Amino acid sequence: MKEALLVLAAGAGLALLLVLTLAAFGQDVGTSLRLLADGAFGDKYGIGRTAVRACPLILCALGLTVAWRAGMYNIGGEGQYLTGAVAGGFIYQVVSGVGPVVFHVVGLLGAAAAGAGLAWFAGWLEVKRGVQVVISTILMNFIVLKLVEWLVRGPLQEPNGLLPTSERLSREMMLARPDPQTDFHIGIWVVPIAILATWFWLYRTRAGFLNRAVGENQHAVRAAGQKPAHLRLRAMMISGALCGLAGGIDYMGWAGQISDGFSQEWGFIAIPVALLGALNPFGVAAAGVYFAALFAGSKELERFSQLDSSVVLVVQAAAVLGIVWAASWMKNRQQGGSE
Amino acid sequence: MSRSSPILEARGVSRSFGAIQALDSIDVQIMPGEVHAVLGENGAGKSTLMNIFGGFLAPESGDVLVDSVPAPSGSPRAMRKLGVALVHQHFMLVPEFTVAENLALDQMSDLVGSLEMAEPLDKARRQAGDLGWEIDFDAMTRQLRVGEQQRVEILKALCTEAKIIILDEPTAVLSKDEISEFVRIVRALRDSGKTIVLIAHKLSEVFAMADYVTVLRGGRIVHSGPIGEQTDESLAQAMVGDPPALAQRSLVEAAGVLLRADEIEVKGDRGNLAVRSASLEVRSGEILGLGGVDGNGQIELGEALAGIRPASGVIERPKQIAYLPQDRHKDGLVLSMPLWENLLIGQLDSDLFAFGVLKRSAALHWAADVMDEYEVKAESVHAPARSLSGGNQQKVLAGRTLSQHPGVIIAVNPTRGLDVRAAAFVHDRLLQARQDGAAVLLISTDWDELAALADRTLFMSRGKLQQELLGDGK
Repeated sequence: MKEALLVLAAGAGLALLLVLTLAAFGQDVGTSLRLLADGAFGDKYGIGRTAVRACPLILCALGLTVAWRAGMYNIGGEGQYLTGAVAGGFIYQVVSGVGPVVFHVVGLLGAAAAGAGLAWFAGWLEVKRGVQVVISTILMNFIVLKLVEWLVRGPLQEPNGLLPTSERLSREMMLARPDPQTDFHIGIWVVPIAILATWFWLYRTRAGFLNRAVGENQHAVRAAGQKPAHLRLRAMMISGALCGLAGGIDYMGWAGQISDGFSQEWGFIAIPVALLGALNPFGVAAAGVYFAALFAGSKELERFSQLDSSVVLVVQAAAVLGIVWAASWMKNRQQGGSE
Repeated sequence: MSRSSPILEARGVSRSFGAIQALDSIDVQIMPGEVHAVLGENGAGKSTLMNIFGGFLAPESGDVLVDSVPAPSGSPRAMRKLGVALVHQHFMLVPEFTVAENLALDQMSDLVGSLEMAEPLDKARRQAGDLGWEIDFDAMTRQLRVGEQQRVEILKALCTEAKIIILDEPTAVLSKDEISEFVRIVRALRDSGKTIVLIAHKLSEVFAMADYVTVLRGGRIVHSGPIGEQTDESLAQAMVGDPPALAQRSLVEAAGVLLRADEIEVKGDRGNLAVRSASLEVRSGEILGLGGVDGNGQIELGEALAGIRPASGVIERPKQIAYLPQDRHKDGLVLSMPLWENLLIGQLDSDLFAFGVLKRSAALHWAADVMDEYEVKAESVHAPARSLSGGNQQKVLAGRTLSQHPGVIIAVNPTRGLDVRAAAFVHDRLLQARQDGAAVLLISTDWDELAALADRTLFMSRGKLQQELLGDGK
């Protein structure tokens, strides 16, 4: 009951923020909202646009959720996402002759493994060497970004060696699109599965229970005979795997090639999505769809006004500030001081 | 004794935190020039009263009066202006500042203008000189001993021209020598005309310093009067109420050894050798006490025996071992999680999980049963652990570890910070476990607890097990 009210309040708050932001940019609010809604959900193209954006946002935000719940402040979703895509690119070079199914299965597993490996390294640095994940992952983002720029001019470059991009996947090698006119591809079905699986894991399994407990109080977990360092490393690996998987799916289902511009910062934008989703998989799903819809809808807005998708970032930033403020306000009210 | 006109007074002051009534309509009068001790157990309401006097908390009803004039409530600034200064138990000093800088910081009236160092420093020098203190004002604060830091705190109060100085558990952080020095300081302050309010829970210090004593219990005043009429027993009785019956220990034949350590060595958190070649045996049906001053390796030894901390040497123990950590908040509970999940932490290998998947309704039922059996008072199994009182939190921990009827129990200061009744409950449970054939290692700094419970007691000093004291064989 109380939770339901909070969700309603959060939804109303997000809508209000959107209206205020549009008004602040001097837009006609009614028209802009209609354009946004049309662009996001108006037709099959819109829905496809929204779904294909929600996919990396939600997968990365789920990954961050798992890590943060364990007290590992993984900010490296972007780097892990890119690493996953790059792994997919290399796997393509190896197995492209075998056929799409093998490529998709091996490629996605490899993407997840690559993201997990990168995140594991950051986790290892914290657990064994005391380098905080929040620092190391944010720096790794930039390293990976630069690495991608080099790779698409080197080992990953398309066979002609002309453009700074990897070889474009043929239609057969891409994840299938039920309706080729839209962006929607079958890889997106991973998202609902991941949402349910993450929720089940966190709230219905021993491993997920310990994952949450170690984030809240690692000392209690240790006194119960568990090893906090192991739990935290596992959380980082799951986190990186989800982000890497997102990168692999986007490579095979949406972009079809890796280039300098492959990164659209989904790994970064997933950070506020995870926060706004209150680190709960269903909350993350709702926040992910909302912002994916805004990004998709803003494509329509761009055609008819001066605004572009940066307006969405303004809404998002304001929403995070609002959430932080609301959380501290509620905390103060609940505690009110103590003896 | 007629008490003329109080300098500081609480009139009908009430304050609650959630469901807990911390102060229930209390009246206290502090007379000018006296040392007034406020006594009480943990949770009696002492700190709340002190924070209300200091303006850090506003009462829900009632008034605070200074010189018989109602003071604005909930304003530390206003109370300071009126001459009430508060010395916190945890010092409010910037460790990386010099003493002089800390004093200047406290004297800053606003945030603009130049940093005025000379004037407050002069004042402080004079005050320190009057008290005969030698203080190095250029020393880095973190380098001072605790007693010296406390003097800086008191100087801060004196520099604000405070008439009334409230000291919150001032001796809790001091060493024995520093305490006797502190008693002299309090007397000197009183002789110079200050009024002192002393928050305390140690009787001996109250007798050494106070003129007048007010005893709080459960947010009410149960006694108030001159110290001369009181004895240790009468004050202790007032603090705790009627003592519950002492734990009864029945005769149990100690049987086979369940826990054995042979020449084990354990490293502390900083890589130091915390336990040096320790050997011990605990038998079924006995409580082995392990005494000693805090920080002599007992906790490390307990953790090693429980399998939480690596150790070299031979440890023989059953697979399942119950560990009751000393720090409820740090090592015991996950405060933000609901009670049932806190109980679940002790059941990770139980049949509440099938192939790693939680059986949720079974777990909820089981948690409710444990809460019943261990008399945990809480709204429901879904209440966060944070919402419970210390005693109930400890009952949750006891239930978590003991409800499985473990063969070996290691308990570290299991009653620290509990009121008498909650402590008696925990003691009963440990004795019950012993009766049921458990081998119990009781690590405690409280000799009375060891004497009451242990069949035999070892003493630990600087990482070595010293001697074996025979129990009283009751």
